[in-house]
Amino acid sequence: MAYRRILITVTWVALSCTEATSAPALTPNQKRLNIESFELIWSTIRDQYWDPDFGGVNWQAVHDELRPKIEGAASMSDARAVMSDMMDRLGKSHFGLIPAEVYEDLDAKGGEGTAGLEVRILDGRAIVTSVEEGSPAASEGVHAGWEIRRVEGTALAPSLDKISAHYRDATTQELYLARSVLAKLSGDPGSAVHVEFLDGARRRVSKTLTRIQPQGTPAKFGYLPTIHVWFRTSRPAEDTGYIAFNFFLDPAHLMTEFGDALGKCAACPGVVIDLRGNPGGLGIMALGMAGWFIEKPDQRLGTMHMRQAPIKFTVNPRRPAYRGRVAMLVDACSASTSEIFAGGMKDLGRARIFGTRTAGAALPSAIDRLPNGDAFQHAIADYVSEGGRPLEGIGVIPDVEVKLTREALLAGRDPVLEAAIEWIHARR
Amino acid sequence: MDSRPEVRAVAGTPGLVERIPMRTTRRLLPVVLLTGLVGSYVAAAEDQPPKAEEVLDKFVEATGGKATYEKIHSEKFSGTFEFAGKGIKGAITSYRAEPNNTYTSVELEGIGTIEEGTSGEVAWTRSGLQGPRIKEGDERAASMRQATLRAPLEWRKLYKQAETTGVENVEDQACYKVVLTPNEGKPETHFYDKKTNLLVKVTLTVNTPMGEIPTETLLRDYTEQDGLRSPHKIEQKAMGQEFVISIDKLEYNIDIPKDRFALPADIQALLPK
Repeated sequence: MAYRRILITVTWVALSCTEATSAPALTPNQKRLNIESFELIWSTIRDQYWDPDFGGVNWQAVHDELRPKIEGAASMSDARAVMSDMMDRLGKSHFGLIPAEVYEDLDAKGGEGTAGLEVRILDGRAIVTSVEEGSPAASEGVHAGWEIRRVEGTALAPSLDKISAHYRDATTQELYLARSVLAKLSGDPGSAVHVEFLDGARRRVSKTLTRIQPQGTPAKFGYLPTIHVWFRTSRPAEDTGYIAFNFFLDPAHLMTEFGDALGKCAACPGVVIDLRGNPGGLGIMALGMAGWFIEKPDQRLGTMHMRQAPIKFTVNPRRPAYRGRVAMLVDACSASTSEIFAGGMKDLGRARIFGTRTAGAALPSAIDRLPNGDAFQHAIADYVSEGGRPLEGIGVIPDVEVKLTREALLAGRDPVLEAAIEWIHARR
Repeated sequence: MDSRPEVRAVAGTPGLVERIPMRTTRRLLPVVLLTGLVGSYVAAAEDQPPKAEEVLDKFVEATGGKATYEKIHSEKFSGTFEFAGKGIKGAITSYRAEPNNTYTSVELEGIGTIEEGTSGEVAWTRSGLQGPRIKEGDERAASMRQATLRAPLEWRKLYKQAETTGVENVEDQACYKVVLTPNEGKPETHFYDKKTNLLVKVTLTVNTPMGEIPTETLLRDYTEQDGLRSPHKIEQKAMGQEFVISIDKLEYNIDIPKDRFALPADIQALLPK
């Protein structure tokens, strides 16, 4: 699941920055386990990579070249470098090694408590983009537009700089940056977090925020941890509907609420679907939602290419279809199913996209444990949006690029939503 | 090549929750039963496997015989449906009645209810995830074949060809490999255990709006009920996913409310006026 994947990736990045530089010698048993791990990675990719030609890479030759190197690896660091090198040969994202010590940490139960803040990195700074009503942050007077400088006395800037450098060429850079800050703010419900802000006047303000349970309904899906899913609908302007939700999960409730919200706005000239910050979830939910906007049969959001066969993301039209304008809001934290939904609707000419480029992280992936205790992440499919472009590493490019600014947030404005509403009303 | 139509077997569905196969087992069995008539099985040399008709007849005999199948007018089963290794499971309930009425409901935790059915000439599916949909083309044809209650006895109407193509192991058990070609759709391959004559595996391609999905279905735990033996555990693999149907309760010739097979209102709304 994208959500889990993102968290894992972020934490890994953060921790790997502090990895010890010493390289203790390996025992014979550790060497054997590293070789077994190498073989497991190689054979898993051989058997499951969606392209049997491996994009032109001679996969057997990669094995034969690197096998002596893994056999000769004198330290865990060396062994991991060999295995990472093997995966890098594919030149694809979503393939990576997660060191055992990091994996153990990730596997531990993390706190789900929240201070009630949403954060984005704007011009290199961690800026509060929204404050949840009734949250500890709201009670303490925190405002959208404030900058977060320190969490628990530790400055954010060095950590953000490292992550920025590591992902300087990746579309996922902003996603990981934002998630790293949110991870620092989260913890067990009832626990406190000390945060230093710069307020609207750029004065230092320190707040102690007691974390609470996140908003929404607890939803369980398979072995995923319980995730709180919320759905919001409103009328931000006359005759304009607004729909937002934080995950593509809990379909039994969310799909019903989505349909009901559209039904109540059937006569509206336009609807805004806000996918900013939505990390994805069940891909099939994007198809189900698209069905309310598509009347023509045999329309597709895109195609998922797997080893066994391609899966067409075909939309099943629903009646009555919503015929008004559809504006979709996205940002760098819109990932996975959000990108499939927005990208497909754009390609079908059924929605206009506002905001900033999405995360470019649409591939489904799995994380498997290795014999040596490490884990490795591997994508199991490729996805191409209906317009013919892959989303991975590219993302959905908005039709209308609108960036949030600290100044607009401090003024209580949402320029992305404003642009969408203006477009809907321009039709009149 | 034998020009006569031959036995069929149906199989469930692909890896998408949407097309969850329900009566996979039930249909597979019936299919085979059709063979019925034909004479006794003649031991054949390994390099010359028996004709498909003989294999299919043996299956009918092994599972209860033609006369027993003919006594069946309706059935209902309930059990569990689980995505293997995913922690996703739920309840499945399925009804069938002659000639080709079906209704199946799968209630999955975290996903909701998925329904499928056939009534008259209409095959349909609906769920909160995807909404209502009427099946067409090969997909509809497959559903209608599967809905035929005593399909094994009517296989000549359902399949235009059946051929034994060799012997192949399924989990270390030697099986006759029978390729069945339906009147509509792609050939299906059935594997019959040489020792027990039971159908143990089916491979086929399911045609859906999401594409042609190759599937592999394993049939296990054959159990007798009212004189008929049928698999009570069905494992299906498709697109890297695997789900398992475990049948807890199976009943034949029960009274099924007439409206059980009525088309839902949102399905009726999709029918041509």
